[in-house]
Amino acid sequence: MTTAPDEAAAALAAVRRARERVAGQVGLPRLYWWGMAAGWLALGAIGDLGPEWLITVATVLFGAAHSMIASHLLDGRQRTDGLRVSAAVAGHRTPVVVIGMLVALVALTVGLALGLDADGAGHPSIWAAAIVAPVVGFGGPEILQALRRLVRA
Amino acid sequence: MTRPRFDELIHPSTRLTLVAMLAAADWAEFGYLRDELGLSDSALSKQLAALEEAGYVATERRADRGRRRVRARLTPAGRSAYDGHVAALRAIVGLDAGYGSGGASPARS
Repeated sequence: MTTAPDEAAAALAAVRRARERVAGQVGLPRLYWWGMAAGWLALGAIGDLGPEWLITVATVLFGAAHSMIASHLLDGRQRTDGLRVSAAVAGHRTPVVVIGMLVALVALTVGLALGLDADGAGHPSIWAAAIVAPVVGFGGPEILQALRRLVRA
Repeated sequence: MTRPRFDELIHPSTRLTLVAMLAAADWAEFGYLRDELGLSDSALSKQLAALEEAGYVATERRADRGRRRVRARLTPAGRSAYDGHVAALRAIVGLDAGYGSGGASPARS
């Protein structure tokens, strides 16, 4: 059987689309982002209302729990239980993108809290966390996808 | 560099898409593939059976939270056949045939 160049080109386009569909599955589970948002709120509340020792303990616990969970998820290869994206397709930059995104969001939260505090607002940590947590919970997957595209991860 | 080798078994469009998706993944669940390809259970079963018979795909049946699930993955033979087929397609359209499923994506055509 002979295959015409246009038929071969169409087959290659189908291959490319299939690969892109799988690559589109790279990311972290929605539950991860909701967990992060809940942690954000809890740390914000403890930062304003809790004693200093509790703030330290909560921050360490949150960091440790995140490290444990993230070590399995940060490569972004298993966002759903439907498939596991290959390492070659997922690339190696996703963990760096996630960590960079989280650091930027922490900086945003701290900046907001400092601004609110300077403005005389009561409970600045809670308010700052309440502003950033929905961004993490609702927008985490989309922000990550946009950042991955930006850095071609 | 992958040697171009046109594969009649992989070439039909639905099967090519199925194999290309499996080549981009470590494994995929039956339900995911069925939904992505828009196939019925029986149609996807037939496609997977044909590929499994050729030694291109391995399926694994397992129980998960009381439900039976089927997970499919490309075998090394299947990956090699897929890479060879893509290289053959690229050669037909006059592109460099050097392409492997583990690395760069096929060039846009």
